[in-house]
Amino acid sequence: MTLTLAIHSSKGGTGKTSIAMNLAVAFASAGKDTCLIDLDLRGPSLCSMFEPKKHFWINDFLSGKCSMKDTLTDVSEEMNTNAHLYLSFSNPDIKEIRDLVSKDRDWQASALKALINGKRELVEKDLDVIIFDTSPGVEYESVNAVAASDMVLIVHNETNACTSCTEQLISGVYSLLDKKCGIIDNMSHQNYVDIVDRERYGVPVLATIPCMCEIATRGKDEILVHTDPDHLFSKSILSIKDKIESMK
Amino acid sequence: MDSELLEQIVTNLKEINSKLDKLIVQVENRDEQISEKERIMAESLDVITLLSLPDHLRTTATTLFEIGPATADEISKITNKERAVESNYLNQLVRMNHVRKYREGRKVYFRINDSLKKK
Repeated sequence: MTLTLAIHSSKGGTGKTSIAMNLAVAFASAGKDTCLIDLDLRGPSLCSMFEPKKHFWINDFLSGKCSMKDTLTDVSEEMNTNAHLYLSFSNPDIKEIRDLVSKDRDWQASALKALINGKRELVEKDLDVIIFDTSPGVEYESVNAVAASDMVLIVHNETNACTSCTEQLISGVYSLLDKKCGIIDNMSHQNYVDIVDRERYGVPVLATIPCMCEIATRGKDEILVHTDPDHLFSKSILSIKDKIESMK
Repeated sequence: MDSELLEQIVTNLKEINSKLDKLIVQVENRDEQISEKERIMAESLDVITLLSLPDHLRTTATTLFEIGPATADEISKITNKERAVESNYLNQLVRMNHVRKYREGRKVYFRINDSLKKK
């Protein structure tokens, strides 16, 4: 059975994309056919780490111009993973982003339908894991991703703003859509790696990842799970992967 | 004599059946024409609207999103509610213009309203 994860957060800059990319590599390395889809259509980031090898973007798919498989680039050789690792890129062209911002509710409604159909296409392709990297806060694209997923991973940091918004997202979005959730405390300034709370707002806390400059500096050009599997960050990602699998 | 009568009844029934089928098609076409006018006002169901629906309707609408066009019976098997209950919810969603109802043969199907598709 295919597991679909949406990586979301109430605020920007909490580390969603790093966690999404590393988690995707972790799943694929463990032999799970995985697909990572960049749904941060307003601030695409997957293309800064990988090179798209297909003519079509996820934007084209959501507009009904192609099928999901037309957007997929397989990077399993590059990442040396045991199973397939497909990426679907969001178009970084500013014209495309401007165009997206002007889309109306009707387009967003049909984009959700497209996303659910795309998920079905990947399920039929026998993929084990689908990961949606989303834009922060309550945007159509991110709530569409949440609606199309089975489980939401909330990437959280310690700022007050993030804390109060996360609680609202859980009660006002994720729970209403009946989604399983897990919190990842990222960039934590506590001096220990142990999980501080087992549960917050009724949701399990899956990991506490300490704040390390290295994750930001090296993470710009490396997927740490791939280049440095013994790194504390990589180990945290692997333990998150195991916890997600046990929650299925 | 009896078998002749029976044959006659069967023939008549078949005739009635085919007339009914034609009538259904006519009614469908008429509905289509009326709804074509309403279509401009029809609202497609987006995810933010979905969140603001009452719990029972949201579950029905979410299920319809996930499995695509379906009958009330198919929806009720997933939501574990009575078929009649789901049928009621689906018809409420139809009246709210979020869902469209159509017939295929003798079955009534529902699908999420998507006004963009027909534009």
